[in-house]
Amino acid sequence: MKKILATVLAICIGMSMLAGCGSQQGSETPSAPADSAAQSEAPAEQPADKPALKVGMVCNAKTIDDKSFNQATWAGITRAAEDFGIETKYLIAADQSAAGFLQEIANLYDAGFRMIITPGYTFSKAIFDAQKIYPDCKFVILDSAPQDDGAEAPEIAANTAAIDYAAQESGFVAGFACALQLKEGEFGALFGQEIPPTKLFKTGFQQGVIYANENFGTNIKMKEENFVWSGSFSDAALGQQITAQLFNSGCNLVYCACGTTALGGFNEAKARAEKGEEVWVVGCDVDQYEDGLLEDGRSVTLTSTMKNLANSTYDMIKAELDGEFVGGQQIIFDAKNGGVGIPETNPNLSDEVQKEADAVLEKIKTGEIVVSAEPTDVSAYN
Amino acid sequence: MKILVSVISILLGFVAGALLMLSSGANPLTGFSYLFQGGLKSVTRICNTIAYAVPLMLTGLSVTFAFKTGLFNIGAPGQMLIGGLLANVLALTAGLPRPLLLPLVIAASIVGGMVWAAVPGFLKARFNVNEVVSCIMMNWVAYWVVYIVISDHFKSTTIDTESQVIPAAASLKTEAITLLTKGSNLNLGIFIAIIATALVIFILNRTVLGYEMKAVGFNRFAAEYGGINVQKNAVLAMVISGALSGLAGLTFYCGYLSNMRIGVMPSQGFDGIAVALLANCAPVGVVFAAIFFAILQTGKGFMNAMMPIPPEIADTIIATVIYFAATSKLIEMNLDRIKKFFGRKRPSKSEGSGEHVEHH
Repeated sequence: MKKILATVLAICIGMSMLAGCGSQQGSETPSAPADSAAQSEAPAEQPADKPALKVGMVCNAKTIDDKSFNQATWAGITRAAEDFGIETKYLIAADQSAAGFLQEIANLYDAGFRMIITPGYTFSKAIFDAQKIYPDCKFVILDSAPQDDGAEAPEIAANTAAIDYAAQESGFVAGFACALQLKEGEFGALFGQEIPPTKLFKTGFQQGVIYANENFGTNIKMKEENFVWSGSFSDAALGQQITAQLFNSGCNLVYCACGTTALGGFNEAKARAEKGEEVWVVGCDVDQYEDGLLEDGRSVTLTSTMKNLANSTYDMIKAELDGEFVGGQQIIFDAKNGGVGIPETNPNLSDEVQKEADAVLEKIKTGEIVVSAEPTDVSAYN
Repeated sequence: MKILVSVISILLGFVAGALLMLSSGANPLTGFSYLFQGGLKSVTRICNTIAYAVPLMLTGLSVTFAFKTGLFNIGAPGQMLIGGLLANVLALTAGLPRPLLLPLVIAASIVGGMVWAAVPGFLKARFNVNEVVSCIMMNWVAYWVVYIVISDHFKSTTIDTESQVIPAAASLKTEAITLLTKGSNLNLGIFIAIIATALVIFILNRTVLGYEMKAVGFNRFAAEYGGINVQKNAVLAMVISGALSGLAGLTFYCGYLSNMRIGVMPSQGFDGIAVALLANCAPVGVVFAAIFFAILQTGKGFMNAMMPIPPEIADTIIATVIYFAATSKLIEMNLDRIKKFFGRKRPSKSEGSGEHVEHH
């Protein structure tokens, strides 16, 4: 009896999936699906007769307002939408795996989107697959390149633009500016998972501090153990805890480069600054001056190591609209083409420091200063 | 009666979702039609939906099984992680031919889930530690164990936050199924889920063990008085429940995916609770409830891409549908009142009380 009941229940749930739909539609049930099916096929034919570009984006966070990669990329897309009147849309993957991302790319493609932009290294496998499945769709992958699981080298198809940032160069300028501004003290850092882009930021930042110590007579200490890998990009409480430890152990500046985890670091610095302590943070990826604001309008953010994601996204969309999309290769955004750097205005940096920092950026552009991508040994600055 | 409860909860969910869509200026009719198209439009999409549903079926069964003994297994995510980890590690290191390797990998995932669930089960039986608390703690232990083991020994060469990809010989994916379903994620996991469902039904309805477990679930004091070893049954129920979650980990990490990511708690573990609630703890119902959830999840993106609503609203709509679907207990409690309201005469039934979760 129970078994029969269970089976009937199961069938009923199956039926109710349709019933749930049908009950909304009432007597129109037969015509409605046919109608909408026609609608869904229409966009697929669009590119042939109507060249309007639809630009989509897939998020690798649970929110678009992550004050980092996703937000900056979307800002570039919306700016392009305002300038060129294109249709845009972002989707948040239900399942943040290669399979989940591929599903969202399929959703965008089926809805007629023919340019899809993805921020971050987590998309490398999904874009590797997608560029082959959808050869008539343009893909842009920021800060990474399409690569098969376990493959030696990336494989960039003609319909994909892979954008890479020389993150060490922005780290260098920020490290230099901070050292010059504070002159004395000890720097620490709060990072997320040990991934290549963050490693570049770290080594660049350290080289910048060392450059200031050696050429401008500043006295900034760095201990390797104070550059902490928290292991998470999404744990604000953990970030706050680690930052508190760093400040307690004598650091007066913590470089927070780990998404939401970093916001915990910002909160700790703000709490201490409200109590009158002289502590500073450095932001990452985007200008995080606003995130460090105190009640009296000051900010604990000294500067930020930026990747100009919004600009590169905008440039790519513009290139596609102008028919100048260049696929099949790695495009490097560095100091030379304005892809990386620190914010144009840093209210917490003095004018002289800003001037020196700009000069250093110029030297990186001309190649007078070469920032290494290899790890830096800071043992001489303990 | 039970059927009615599930049906009403799903309908309520859609009504609430429709209201939300209306309030954001979208047409619910087209919205829901895109939702189902997204989940079921093509062979690939149907198969992807089923592939997504497989781990949900297993975690749903896992939660159901523990429910039957009056235990709340919220540790399914941790059990999935450890089951998946053992399976992945074996797959990466063993180097055996497929006919040998695959059964071993499956066994490893079962053992992993069992061990991880045995701890809360034992603590519950021996020291009366609330299994909800210990399960949640075990989830985090699993989370960091996976983190350390993978980043120290099995890190992928391409992406630092993922493990190496398992060899095809150890994957539940088969070329035949992938080709047949036009490149979907469907894999042998579906057969594992079907077999597991049959086994759970068999254990619960046809064995002394199942009888004892249900007796403990109905009333543990009466069961104890009747000579049933409550402690032993608590541990056993958790171990079997853990084995099912371990298998869910296998189907997710060695089937749906081909590697593990560090720093991620699998949401399927928690969704299993909602699946079990919607199915009213009926094993066959779990299968269909899991498919229903999978349609919502896989269809959501397409609905979102086709409609002028932001993803946050789409997420809220789906969450509302799920929320109402999981309120089946509330509807069950008020069903008599609803019936009276409509003036139908029915003899009142009291057998449903046994399905309640034991309160602590």
